[in-house]
Amino acid sequence: MGCCYSSDNDSSDKDRDQREPLIPPNPVSKPPNGTDWVTTSLPSARTDEQALLTSILTKTAQNIIDVAAAESVMMEQHEYMDKARQYSTKLAVLSNSLPQKKANALPNLTSQPHQVLASDLVPYSDVQQVSKIAAYAYSAISQIKVDAKEELVVQFAIP
Amino acid sequence: MTTAALTAGLERIPDQLGYLVISEDGVLASAGELENDEHTAGVIMQMVRTACRFRLPGSADPCFKRMSVILEDFVYTVTVSGQKVFVVKRQNNQHEPVNV
Repeated sequence: MGCCYSSDNDSSDKDRDQREPLIPPNPVSKPPNGTDWVTTSLPSARTDEQALLTSILTKTAQNIIDVAAAESVMMEQHEYMDKARQYSTKLAVLSNSLPQKKANALPNLTSQPHQVLASDLVPYSDVQQVSKIAAYAYSAISQIKVDAKEELVVQFAIP
Repeated sequence: MTTAALTAGLERIPDQLGYLVISEDGVLASAGELENDEHTAGVIMQMVRTACRFRLPGSADPCFKRMSVILEDFVYTVTVSGQKVFVVKRQNNQHEPVNV
């Protein structure tokens, strides 16, 4: 009695002939349907990962100073001296341009602080005058307002 | 200049009630009513820094020698010399009120 997947050799030979595809399946060739996207995207993802790992490795290698390797490069005494001189000249040049940038430093208002502090206090009339002027200025500033007299957006008469 | 040399002159200022000598790093010397007054030192330092930022057009340096903080009973007189801020609290004998 022959049935599917039976071990009957006679019928199975005939079946194999019928089922065997005419073109042998090639794992490299792409099947006509769209399923190959899944199978081919896997290796490409792996390459991307590999590339990423390689770039991380390169970056890390660039940031690391290998002391053991550096020490193997022998330096003569005069080379050290030359380098030290070179660096100190560079530093001197750079530090010359620094003080101008230091904005937070306190200015020198006087060379005789005791005399300045011991001199007479500001006369009362001066203080009164300054207070009055400051009050006027405050009042003037508080009264500043926009008085819109015409339209801010004007349509030009285009012929 | 030693601290003693810095403060000797301040002691002789007429009507002084106390003083402070302040550097960038903190209070160098203090006496009288301002003894150990870190709070006042901080406030005065901020006021000095603000005042020093005002410049008249065309001048590179601040155009004042002394800053006076005038209150009813006393006055803080402040100046800067050699990277040090000198503050002296002095009696205000002008008793007329300041009307604003």
